Amino acid sequence: MTFYITDGSEESFYTAVFDCYKDREGIITCRGDLQMTLDSTFRQIKTDESKCARVKNKIAEYDGAALNDIKLVLRSCAGNREQTALEYIRLIMQHKRPVRAMTHIPAVLEMEDIRKKVTGELHKMKGFLRFMENDRGVLYAPYSPDNDITDLIAPHFAERLKNQKFVIHDIKRKTAAMYDGNEIVVCHADGADIYLSEYEQTFEELWKLYYKSVNIEERPHERQMKGYMPVRYWKFLPEKRQ
Amino acid sequence: MLDAERLEILTESAKYDVSCSSSGSKRVNRGGGIGNASVGGICHSFTPDGRCISLLKILMSNDCIYDCEYCPNRASADVKRASMTPEEICELTINFYKRNYIEGLFLSSAVCESPNKTMELLVRTITLLRKQYNFNGYIHLKGIPHADELLCMRAAHLADRMSYNIELPSEKSLKLLAPQKTRDSIMLPMKKLQAATIYDKENKIKKCARVIPAGQTTQMIIGASPESDGRILKLTQALYRNMGLKRVYYSSYIPVVKSSKLPQTGAGLLREHRLYQADWLLRFYGFDVEELCGEDDNLAAEFDPKCAWALKNLQLFPVEINTAPLETLLRVPGIGARGAYRIIEARRFCRLNFDNLKKMRIILKRAKHFITCNGKFYGADGEKMIKASLMLSDDMHRCEQLSIFSKPSETFAALTGEL
Repeated sequence: MTFYITDGSEESFYTAVFDCYKDREGIITCRGDLQMTLDSTFRQIKTDESKCARVKNKIAEYDGAALNDIKLVLRSCAGNREQTALEYIRLIMQHKRPVRAMTHIPAVLEMEDIRKKVTGELHKMKGFLRFMENDRGVLYAPYSPDNDITDLIAPHFAERLKNQKFVIHDIKRKTAAMYDGNEIVVCHADGADIYLSEYEQTFEELWKLYYKSVNIEERPHERQMKGYMPVRYWKFLPEKRQ
Repeated sequence: MLDAERLEILTESAKYDVSCSSSGSKRVNRGGGIGNASVGGICHSFTPDGRCISLLKILMSNDCIYDCEYCPNRASADVKRASMTPEEICELTINFYKRNYIEGLFLSSAVCESPNKTMELLVRTITLLRKQYNFNGYIHLKGIPHADELLCMRAAHLADRMSYNIELPSEKSLKLLAPQKTRDSIMLPMKKLQAATIYDKENKIKKCARVIPAGQTTQMIIGASPESDGRILKLTQALYRNMGLKRVYYSSYIPVVKSSKLPQTGAGLLREHRLYQADWLLRFYGFDVEELCGEDDNLAAEFDPKCAWALKNLQLFPVEINTAPLETLLRVPGIGARGAYRIIEARRFCRLNFDNLKKMRIILKRAKHFITCNGKFYGADGEKMIKASLMLSDDMHRCEQLSIFSKPSETFAALTGEL
């Protein structure tokens, strides 16, 4: 069995697909913690732009929308994301047409599930992200999403907060999207020193009070709350932070 | 700036309004302002009662001249009164919005001094928010009954959604419990708004200049008056089909106010939940109210409305998954709208068996009694057996009438304010 180790980027993945396509036993992954067997071999993938382009063109020929689906799936935290995407590509090649409606095939459902988890979290984070204002009026939102969605979520806020400057900071992956009122830049960011504006505390307190007051105590339903708003997101929500 | 005490009073007073949806509008951020609307709506938080917070739901004032029996803010109630100025509301909205706490504003008010005076202040507030603060986020405005038509139309040009609450399902109950409101004072503005919406559409008015792009909603209190589920749903259906409403909300009556004209106990969350289920069947599954519930009957407590309908019409089942048309699939218990579309898509490529259905997340424990796959049937035999099996497969807790003091683990999913 051969492991095709990518660097996690999309280009690296498509290069690996090119190399691995005929190898039915091959496994594409970018993870370090592999389940190895005694006869495993490794191939470190070096991104090759022409291979990458050939694979992408071929996929686009049969299903233009699939490239975006794969892009989303590669953002996922699921361990089998590359492998699922590879199988999905094989299916497209085999049928020479879009396969997304063939929901009786397990790989198609798996692909959809992973994609939905990414887009689902993207949607949820549009609501759960919390900005705080620093002393120079820049908004700062630390968060720690399950999937790598920082560059996908930034345009939503750039459109919405056109006249503001903001930073969205993925603490876990140490990446940040910065918006200066004109364009978005995504870069590596270890930590941040934030000096909050003098009003920040006041509005946070008002928000917490609002959260407390709008609840109807006579009809408790914590399970539903936790279902919609998982506890792992709470540490970045002022109204839920202890 | 707004102080904590007033915020608390005005939020507490507004929280019994169920609607918190922020969907249906595609307002864009123009002129480098702040905010836009997301057509699917975004929930920003969830409270321990399981409801979402999407909008800053607040009253401008809770100092009311009306004396509606069921309302905690009625004129004769002994509660703390407070109000906010338009500037204070704008400042709070903008600052909450900037921090991504909320998706927009849901502004309502008690009727203070006169309906016109109140409505005028509400309109002034949202005008300020739109024009001066350049706010393009979602605004849901509650209409004040008896206020001037011109004020209502001015508001409609600024808000994304407006709602006039019907409050009680019949005119008789309205007269008894909310004597100062009349049916006409609620229905006429709703009709006017509908006419304006249709006019905009027919005359192809620019999208950005249309009135209330997210439409109208309304709300009814369930269990404060004696109307049956059948009557309530009939009214609901008429509101959807004839008035073009986007949503009808139901609010199960909670006895927060003591009055001899009101029941001593709440209506229970299960009844509210069944009404919402039936509401969904009316809007997305092609059901008519006559099929679900007789005019003077209530919905069954032990089965969901779709199951109850299927059990009454067993002669129509089982249906063959591989050939049944979409309308039929939508009527099978355990198959939702998404599942039905998935089946239609997938069976173009192969004949489906039970294993495929399971993988597509069709709820087989309910659906198996009503379908065949390639002629095979795995359901129970006869109405009695099916009923017994459906009861068993359900969580037994679901079958009890719940009181508002039930523990959270026993409380049934009350899907209010979800969308």
